[in-house]
Amino acid sequence: MAENNATEIQAKSTAATIMAVLAICGVVTFLVCLWSDQPQRAWRAYLINFLLWSAMAQGGLLFSVVLQVTNARWGRGLRGVAEAFAAFFPISLLLFLVLFLGRDHIFPWLHMEDLHGKEVWLNVPFLFARDLAGLAFLYLFGMLYLLQSLQLKRICNNQAQRRNDLLQTRPGEIDAAAGTRRRMTTLGVLYIITYAFVLSLIGYDLVMSLDPHWISTLFGPYIFIKAFYLGIGGIIITAALLHLNAGHAFEVPSQEFHDMGKLFLAFCLVWADFFYVQLVVIWYGNIPEETVYVISRVGHAPWRTLAWAVFGVSFVLPFLVLINRRVKTMPRMMLALCGIVLIGLWLEHLLLVGPALDHGTARLNLGIPDLLITLGFCGLMGSAVSYMLKRYPELLISGEGRS
Amino acid sequence: MSLTFAKIDQTVLDTLKPATRGYWVVIALLIMGILTGGACWVYQIFTGIGVGGQNIPVAWGTYLINFVFWVGIAHSGTLISAILHLFRAGWRNPIARAAETMTVFAVCTAGLYPFIHLGRVWMVYYMLPLPNQRTLWPNFQSPLMFDVVAISTYLTVSSLFWYTGMLPDLAVIRDRATGTRKKIFTYLSLGWTGAHEQWRHYVRVYLFFAALATPLVISVHSVVSWDFALGVVPGWHTTIFAPYFVAGAIHSGLAMVVTLMIPLRIIFNYKDIITDRVLEQVAKTIILTGLIVGFAYGTEIFIAWYSRNPVEMETFRWRIFGEQAFGFWIMVACNVAIPMLFFFKAIRTSVPWLLVISICVNIGMWFERYVIIAGSVAHDFLPSAWGTYRPTLIEFGIMLGSFSLFFFLFVLFVKHMPSVSMTEMKETVHARHQGGDHG
Amino acid sequence: MPGTREGTMAEERYVMGLFRDDTCAARVVRDLPAQGFKVVRVHSPVPSHGLLDALQIKPSPVGWLTLIGGIIGFFSGFALAIFTATRWDIMVSGKPIVAWVPFVIVGFEFTILFAVIGNVIGLLLMMKLPSFKGLKYYDPRCSGDHYGVLAACGDGQQQSLADFFQAQGGEVQVFTD
Repeated sequence: MAENNATEIQAKSTAATIMAVLAICGVVTFLVCLWSDQPQRAWRAYLINFLLWSAMAQGGLLFSVVLQVTNARWGRGLRGVAEAFAAFFPISLLLFLVLFLGRDHIFPWLHMEDLHGKEVWLNVPFLFARDLAGLAFLYLFGMLYLLQSLQLKRICNNQAQRRNDLLQTRPGEIDAAAGTRRRMTTLGVLYIITYAFVLSLIGYDLVMSLDPHWISTLFGPYIFIKAFYLGIGGIIITAALLHLNAGHAFEVPSQEFHDMGKLFLAFCLVWADFFYVQLVVIWYGNIPEETVYVISRVGHAPWRTLAWAVFGVSFVLPFLVLINRRVKTMPRMMLALCGIVLIGLWLEHLLLVGPALDHGTARLNLGIPDLLITLGFCGLMGSAVSYMLKRYPELLISGEGRS
Repeated sequence: MSLTFAKIDQTVLDTLKPATRGYWVVIALLIMGILTGGACWVYQIFTGIGVGGQNIPVAWGTYLINFVFWVGIAHSGTLISAILHLFRAGWRNPIARAAETMTVFAVCTAGLYPFIHLGRVWMVYYMLPLPNQRTLWPNFQSPLMFDVVAISTYLTVSSLFWYTGMLPDLAVIRDRATGTRKKIFTYLSLGWTGAHEQWRHYVRVYLFFAALATPLVISVHSVVSWDFALGVVPGWHTTIFAPYFVAGAIHSGLAMVVTLMIPLRIIFNYKDIITDRVLEQVAKTIILTGLIVGFAYGTEIFIAWYSRNPVEMETFRWRIFGEQAFGFWIMVACNVAIPMLFFFKAIRTSVPWLLVISICVNIGMWFERYVIIAGSVAHDFLPSAWGTYRPTLIEFGIMLGSFSLFFFLFVLFVKHMPSVSMTEMKETVHARHQGGDHG
Repeated sequence: MPGTREGTMAEERYVMGLFRDDTCAARVVRDLPAQGFKVVRVHSPVPSHGLLDALQIKPSPVGWLTLIGGIIGFFSGFALAIFTATRWDIMVSGKPIVAWVPFVIVGFEFTILFAVIGNVIGLLLMMKLPSFKGLKYYDPRCSGDHYGVLAACGDGQQQSLADFFQAQGGEVQVFTD
């Protein structure tokens, strides 16, 4: 038993060290790139990673929130993992503020002459103010939800302790638990509503506006569906890593892996559906103002190859693999699959912002600096999540009693 | 009072006893409604499609509005019986059968409308891919052909799902019936005995039905929305339509479920089966769909403004403040504002409020289709092309006929077939006794 | 009082034990072979995991038919759309003659339709429905609230089998045809 504990602690510290090293590497690479002759590339990588990892954190917490609000009886073991993703929220907020420094390289509309009246919406002070406020509210609700969840776990642990010691449960405790659950549900509903609005807003402001003369009403929802897809993938990756390395401290029953796998497949389909829905409307209407966006991403080299790669990696692959029943219960396979899909979705972010930031380029301009910056962000996320799980090990314990 | 298998059987079988006079009065009224609609339609066939109010520029009127309305209602039936089965939400069990029934009959009613609004009904076979001498085939690039494929698929799949789900229940009735009734139900239940070999396959088949019906639901109403979104008309050509229509469909369908369940549980004594808690769960889901629909309204208006496109901006300005703005405001009030009252527990647990709000949502969703379908083309690109649309009496007659047909089929069904799934209710009770998380 | 029926049959006689509780029925299923009787089948009003486990049922292969149906549907949908488009190979609305973007919809709907048809064919084939033979050794209480364990025994052993069932707490239905 003590041996297990020792290996677990060692595993956790190794993980934490790796994450910290990656994070520092990433920051250094980013700063180096900024001072090189191509700061544009650094900011492109920064924007892509900011959007990707923030989305993963926001979508990850959404999983726990949705289970709470719908009173679901499954997924208990994984809710703690999902809630740990909220640790990235403060980091994400800071990273957003840093975006301000790169605004000249990120927002093409700053250098455009005629915005046809969009300046009232697309101007730096207003954009940063509203996005910062939106993210702040979203993260506030998320962190409050997390705090309530930890409090509930504490109360339930006390109750379990009393039951083990054959002591009576105090009536006050039952009320406290019920009250905490009610607050969690209320905060959950607020989180869901804010999530939809804020992620749509971020989608319109930070991605769609990079092509200021293009519109798609579904773009915002497309972004928040993609975030949920990312979040579920992130939870599966984290849960699989913990399951494989932490021994008895954290074990996910294979039924729950199966359920998560099914949910992952479901949102793979929903994400692909939200993409296709936009494509078919734009293709069919054939209105040049709308088609220019799609053609530059799907019709022209070099983005064309990237588009097909994204389609194959993030849709076709998970669809074909996850039809098989047994694959979903194998943590190693799910870890590999979700990792590959994550790379595919990174490329999808590149596909969305790349043609706007590198207008008319002949090559994708992907290199080692992009990889290191991405690993840097991964390190930040990993550090946040592992810090959370180490500081609050009760997140890894499932079963908080019946509601 | 806790439920037992025997009590479930008894409650449901009691509903199949010979009908009272009141029932036959209702049936007679509904048949009169259907005949009215039928007469109007026959008149239209002989006189021409011009007896309706649709013209230039509004070429699609109540016929399309009702078509979308009924297809929409069908969708939440499949949501409840298929999607909630996948999510293992137990509260769906008491209402699943009635919801599936609602789906099948709503699709049937909706399916009449392409015939009705075709005018020259005898030419409908043009839409079928049948070989002919001149090698003329339907154009599968057309959204109207997508409709043909999607709606017929949906009708087939829903009917098969509905019938398969009923097999164990039909066996229950067979085992309790005598005489001719027993013979009919013996054939209808296909010899179902509940043997373990049968259950082994059945459970899997049902799961696949649910898994296949889920993407079907989403695709069918997306296809219906593309009847509009694939055109270039402002107010129609927008990418959000597919998920927006699906959410709206579920919104109106859930409201119709509530509208149907409340009288049903009073007349049939289903209060222990379709409990207040079940209705409360439906009400909570209505909050969600109402928020989605409200979000879609807001997004459309925001993007229209953001686009700075004068045509888009004028379309939405007119929609909100123009001569036909009453439709928009009814839509927003009934679909978004009023369902938010369900946030209050007192309201969502009160049966009269549930009934009133669900009827409001149905009215609001009808007006949403009116605003989109009639409103957008009435006021599109060129001011010289702007026009108005007013439905005629013939159209109202046909609308009355379609509502009567739907309720007639539903009322006929619930008196002669099991309107609550006894088997699924027993599964709920069984799971409760086991204390585990069973499907 | 459970009735009996007259009739002749080669060697096997059938007796059904009816239990109100599925754990009880599962236990009986497990114990019957030890007593020297054969379990023919078990009827239940709801699918019971306990019973299906006791009977050691393998997962149903019906899914293969569904999958095959889906694959046929996928290709049929595209084939139909492409075939009909190429018969009238004049461009309409500036769209290519064979355009995969809209044809995905037709392909998708046909996939679902044929998969469901495969599902239903699988159901009918695997369950061998419609078939009314199963109603021969059947008790109507099995669709109500009883679990019926149908066991086979030799000619003179019906009483011992019936006693075994009654000892386990069940009601008995003896079939003598």
